[in-house]
Amino acid sequence: MIELDKVSKVYTTKTIETTALNDISLNVAKGEFLSIMGPSGCGKSTLLNIMGLLDAPSNGQVKIDGQNISNYLGKPMAKFRNEKLGFIFQSFHLIADLSVIDNVEVPLLYRKISGKERKEMASRALDAVGLSNRKKHFPSQLSGGQKQRVAIARAIVGEPKIILADEPTGNLDSVMGDEVLDILKYLNEKEDTTIVMVTHDERMASKTDRLIRLYDGSQVA
Amino acid sequence: MIGNYIILAWRVLKRRRFFSFISLFGISFTLGIFMVILSFLQSELGDNKPLSNKDDLVFVSHIGLSKPYHDTITIIDTVFLEGVEVYDTTYDIKSEGRSMTNSPFNSSLILEYFSDLPPVERYSLFNPQETFNVYVNGVKLSIDATFTDHNYLQIFDYKILEGRRLSEVDIQEANPVMVISTKTAMNYFGTQSGLLGREIELEKQTYKIIGVFEHKARFIPYFSPDVIIPYTLQNLNEQYSYYFGKHFIIFDKESSATTQEVKNAIVTASDRIPLDHPDNRNNFETIEMRLMTFNEIFATGIYYHKDPAKGYRIVKWIIFGILLFFILLPTLNLINLNVSRIMERSSEIGVRKAFGANRGNIIFQFITENIVQTLIGGIMGLGLALLIIKILNDSGWLGNAGLTLYPKFFWYSFLATLFFGILSGLIPALKMSSLHIVKALKERTI
Ligand SMILES: Nc1ncnc2c1ncn2[C@@H]1O[C@H](COP(=O)(O)OP(=O)(O)O)[C@@H](O)[C@H]1O
Ligand SMILES: [Mg+2]
Repeated sequence: MIELDKVSKVYTTKTIETTALNDISLNVAKGEFLSIMGPSGCGKSTLLNIMGLLDAPSNGQVKIDGQNISNYLGKPMAKFRNEKLGFIFQSFHLIADLSVIDNVEVPLLYRKISGKERKEMASRALDAVGLSNRKKHFPSQLSGGQKQRVAIARAIVGEPKIILADEPTGNLDSVMGDEVLDILKYLNEKEDTTIVMVTHDERMASKTDRLIRLYDGSQVA
Repeated sequence: MIGNYIILAWRVLKRRRFFSFISLFGISFTLGIFMVILSFLQSELGDNKPLSNKDDLVFVSHIGLSKPYHDTITIIDTVFLEGVEVYDTTYDIKSEGRSMTNSPFNSSLILEYFSDLPPVERYSLFNPQETFNVYVNGVKLSIDATFTDHNYLQIFDYKILEGRRLSEVDIQEANPVMVISTKTAMNYFGTQSGLLGREIELEKQTYKIIGVFEHKARFIPYFSPDVIIPYTLQNLNEQYSYYFGKHFIIFDKESSATTQEVKNAIVTASDRIPLDHPDNRNNFETIEMRLMTFNEIFATGIYYHKDPAKGYRIVKWIIFGILLFFILLPTLNLINLNVSRIMERSSEIGVRKAFGANRGNIIFQFITENIVQTLIGGIMGLGLALLIIKILNDSGWLGNAGLTLYPKFFWYSFLATLFFGILSGLIPALKMSSLHIVKALKERTI
């Protein structure tokens, strides 16, 4: 589902060059739940962003769902992300001015779907994360765990094949974190969604299919 | 999708109250002022009664007699050469100028020289400078009378509500009649109907009312008569000289002619006026007149230029510049505000792009928001304009000019604001839409 071939990422600023990723080759199978661990600054987010086509590698080749990615700009790429990928971020990134259901609806705005159908799909996604009674709330009225569940609903509303989650439980206490992980597990097992999750929590990682470790931009395990 | 953007726009406006207040204030203030200026220009320069055919008219208020004067002054320039003062050059400085005297026309002069110009369909002579004070129930009422001929109310198309205009017979026979404005009728009689045959006494002369016309205020002086009376009722033998009297002239051109042709014909006719008349005591050599169309009269009030046509062109540019300035200043301000407002939403832009928004989607979203904002500002601006106009009209600061807001100016102003509204949203939208997703998402949010 995700194939990385000798992927490197170098950030060049005026003063220094940082090698965030060094020659990473990695395959994530369809339906696999992979977790990535490693110390802070070792390149986990960079790797996830490259898998999610949010950033281009400096070197190497990225293949998603059998398609070689070369051009990261423009409409076709936006459409590709919209259809294949869902994202969950550590800091939720909900849109404060939108109600819960409107937040969940966002990915569908960029498809040719009627307003009514969008609302139905968003409702279903909220049902799936157990928040159907919070549709009209605004993000500021929710707890951290609820916010992250809204973010999950947003990630799954478009039924993507791949979900990329960057420390989704990082801002949550362990009870809420477990809730979130259970939802992801469910999606992975029942919907056959491929999931890549960055985490700092060994216990979370142990519940996934496979774990890789990064150190200083290189894969060490 | 656009519905979502509109709702979002409304929520953004509501959440960011201070910003919204500033930008809505900017938009509505601009639009309001813009509409007031345009309304003022329209009420002064538009083809409205009583100047429906103002572009056919050429106006001349004064005839001037002039001659040049030359004084020669000899100046001797001295220089020091090796400590010795020597004469260098001798100049003759010619101090040149014109001495001139001017005044409104003697009515007989008008009849003799200007009554039959080929490109002119009709003309009217009028003396609008007579003011009478009368007392109505002990309250002083000042009445501006215009003494004129039967053509005056043909050229100025005041609406006649009752009765008739002055007739040629009224002029020939010097009938003591008057046509009265609704404003004066109200002030004098407390009513503006059923007044035919009633009488008003002005300085021991009694005038019978034969007609009532609808009062229309204009900012330009001399064109807002309270009562209109045959000029032959004034003692025409007591005019100042063969040349000078109390009368202005308005020429209404033949439909096929141009106002320039009328001006030329007036100049040609004035060349025939003899200068060897005994009343020309100072031996003036030239006749001068300032011939103006109505637009040029208006322009002259703002900026005097020797050539009225040129003055009008300059004033047009000045007004255009002011209007542009009025629109541009808040626009720049808005662009600034919008940039910082949209910058704060970089996390939102990052999320939307991650979930499949392309640049076009982002630009469209922010433009829509700006249009919604401009629409709201536009409605507030309309209210503001109506309020300003009402205050101006009620206060009487504009003299006797009355403003009305014409719908077309609302649309002009609205389109102008919309244009700049879009522009002010486009610049930040373009900037933010090209933001790199990962960088945009670095912004921390809820
Ligand atoms: N935009 C950037 N410019 C320069 N250096 C960056 C940028 N983003 C990340 N880095 C650097 O790349 C390395 C990996 O960052 P990141 O992938 O965010 O680490 P992690 O998510 O594992 O904490 C870090 O050293 C970080 O400082
Ligand atoms: Mg990270």
